[in-house]
Amino acid sequence: MIRYVIRRILMLIGIVFIISVGSFYLIHLLPGNITTIIEGPGASPANQAKLYKLLGLDRPIYEQYFVWLGNVLHGNLGTSFISQESVASTIRAALPIDLEMIFISQILAFATAIPMAMRSARKPDGIVDRIFGAGSFTLLSVPPFIVIILLVLFISIKLGIPHTGVSTYVSFSSDWIANLESMALPSITLAIGSFVVYFRVLRSDLIATLQEEFITMARSKGISQRRIMWRHAFRPSSVALLGAAGVNIGGLLAGGFVVQFLLAIPGLGYTLIAAINQNDYLLVQGIVFVVSVGVVLINFIFDFIINIVDPRISRE
Amino acid sequence: MSNAPHELLVVDDLSTTFTTMGGPLPAVANVSFTLARNETIGIVGESGSGKTVLSRTIMGLQPRSNVTVTGSVLLNGNQMVGASEAAKRALWGKEVAMVFQDPMTSLNPVMRVGKQIDESLRVRLGMNKHDAKARAIELFELVGIPSPAQRYMAYPGQLSGGMRQRVVIAIALAGSPNLLMADEPTTGLDVTIQAQILNLLDDLKERLEMSVVLVTHDLGVVATRTSRIVVMYAGRIVESGSTRDVFNHHRMPYTRALLDSSPKVSNASHTRLVTIPGRPPNLLKLTAGCSFAPRCTFATDKCHTERPELQAADEPEHAFACWNPLPTNTERGS
Repeated sequence: MIRYVIRRILMLIGIVFIISVGSFYLIHLLPGNITTIIEGPGASPANQAKLYKLLGLDRPIYEQYFVWLGNVLHGNLGTSFISQESVASTIRAALPIDLEMIFISQILAFATAIPMAMRSARKPDGIVDRIFGAGSFTLLSVPPFIVIILLVLFISIKLGIPHTGVSTYVSFSSDWIANLESMALPSITLAIGSFVVYFRVLRSDLIATLQEEFITMARSKGISQRRIMWRHAFRPSSVALLGAAGVNIGGLLAGGFVVQFLLAIPGLGYTLIAAINQNDYLLVQGIVFVVSVGVVLINFIFDFIINIVDPRISRE
Repeated sequence: MSNAPHELLVVDDLSTTFTTMGGPLPAVANVSFTLARNETIGIVGESGSGKTVLSRTIMGLQPRSNVTVTGSVLLNGNQMVGASEAAKRALWGKEVAMVFQDPMTSLNPVMRVGKQIDESLRVRLGMNKHDAKARAIELFELVGIPSPAQRYMAYPGQLSGGMRQRVVIAIALAGSPNLLMADEPTTGLDVTIQAQILNLLDDLKERLEMSVVLVTHDLGVVATRTSRIVVMYAGRIVESGSTRDVFNHHRMPYTRALLDSSPKVSNASHTRLVTIPGRPPNLLKLTAGCSFAPRCTFATDKCHTERPELQAADEPEHAFACWNPLPTNTERGS
């Protein structure tokens, strides 16, 4: 187990290094001279040359990389040319919104998917299983932007629960009721997509596990159905579920922009789209770097959880 | 010994039929036998003869859907056929327990073995954590697990096959059952371990005053350890009687064929093993006749069209189902 963790951490460091090189190089992929972008098309060549030197662009690229990496390690992702704000502080303001949204959506998804998968797996192809199966398949085939429109129509307009825009967004600590109100729609939207995946993966694994001999043996001990489901069937069936959750949560961090953009939630995805529209390259670079590291970290954490859940994996 | 009040288990006209896509599949048909307290009975037959389904049906452990059970199983006065899951659950572990065939698959791979026996002791017997652990280690010691306190923390994957089967036996014993169902308890094990496990079961049966149903395909296993034997073929009893009678005075050609196909130490090296030609019948396509007829060297036209019922042999409690039984020893003139 310890050897496994050390191996994974070394791999993690390697991957983060590759990401940092990629993120750094991103800015150098830009067509044209960056000084033109900063100073505008009318800038004099002398000023451009001065800025070029000021930015350290005359130095060799590996030296530039290490200067950049040193800054990043100190939490300095640069200052936006457009807004003149620190990229790190912009990200620090947006990231908690993403994390909260993911957190709420995952609680909702697990809280519905696990009991429903267990109910379905108890009698595969029974009437409940068929209803759940058909329902989840329907949800699977509806794209999120349709879900959002329907949710806005039924929850926001009919029930009168407001969903806020970027300007009226409030943080959880300043007014948690208003915050949860604005989080409800995006969280539910993300939860629906996650729920479908978790329900289907767990259901099929539970059905397979419940046919194992050790389930019959557990039954023969005279313990209750509920106990067999939770203590004997759930854990060995949850490896694929956790794997799917790792990939899915990483995807939500990187791909939450559709929901955020449609519902005007100022999270990382929304900020990224805005930054791209404004040619705010340093902000794009910072977000790409932070999100990539986040995705890698999430997968690392889930790999670790899977190993605790199924001790056979790290032994092999 | 086996007069009525002493009988722990009375199986009467028990049939188990699975509903399949190909029609009803009679895995067990019209099986009757009794088992006295502190007795061991052997259920013998080749793969697919219905012995495992029979042992599970007796316990009421059959799957909950697509199966029909008729007849009667009285376990210490409790009717198992048609009993609710809750009623059966109350008996499982305490009245009857099962030792499963393959210890590689019958233990939960992601649960420490201590936890798995603990479950029986704490949930079923209501022991507290401390007492349960002490008792679990005691049981591990009883079934011959070395350094039981350390094994208590092991995952099944960290134990050998023989050790795992000892754990399975310890779990089965946790509720002090009156009846132990041993379903091919040694099939998944090395030959050297098989005798150890069988001797352990024998010894435990005596010490704990249990009755044992020993299910096996290996007549060598039941020869010295059972008082009576039931021979099954295609879901039916084809011969039953005391172990001595089944070995020495068998009348059913299938029993003879089974005996002949067991390797014997007295045979010279490299003796080719006698096999039974053909394969067990497809239970979905049973004929009206004797199901062994297609493989039987003595079969006549009657065997193919009419099923022989169990009939009494000369010896008490000895019965067989055959139209053309093998001659008795006296008929053979020996």
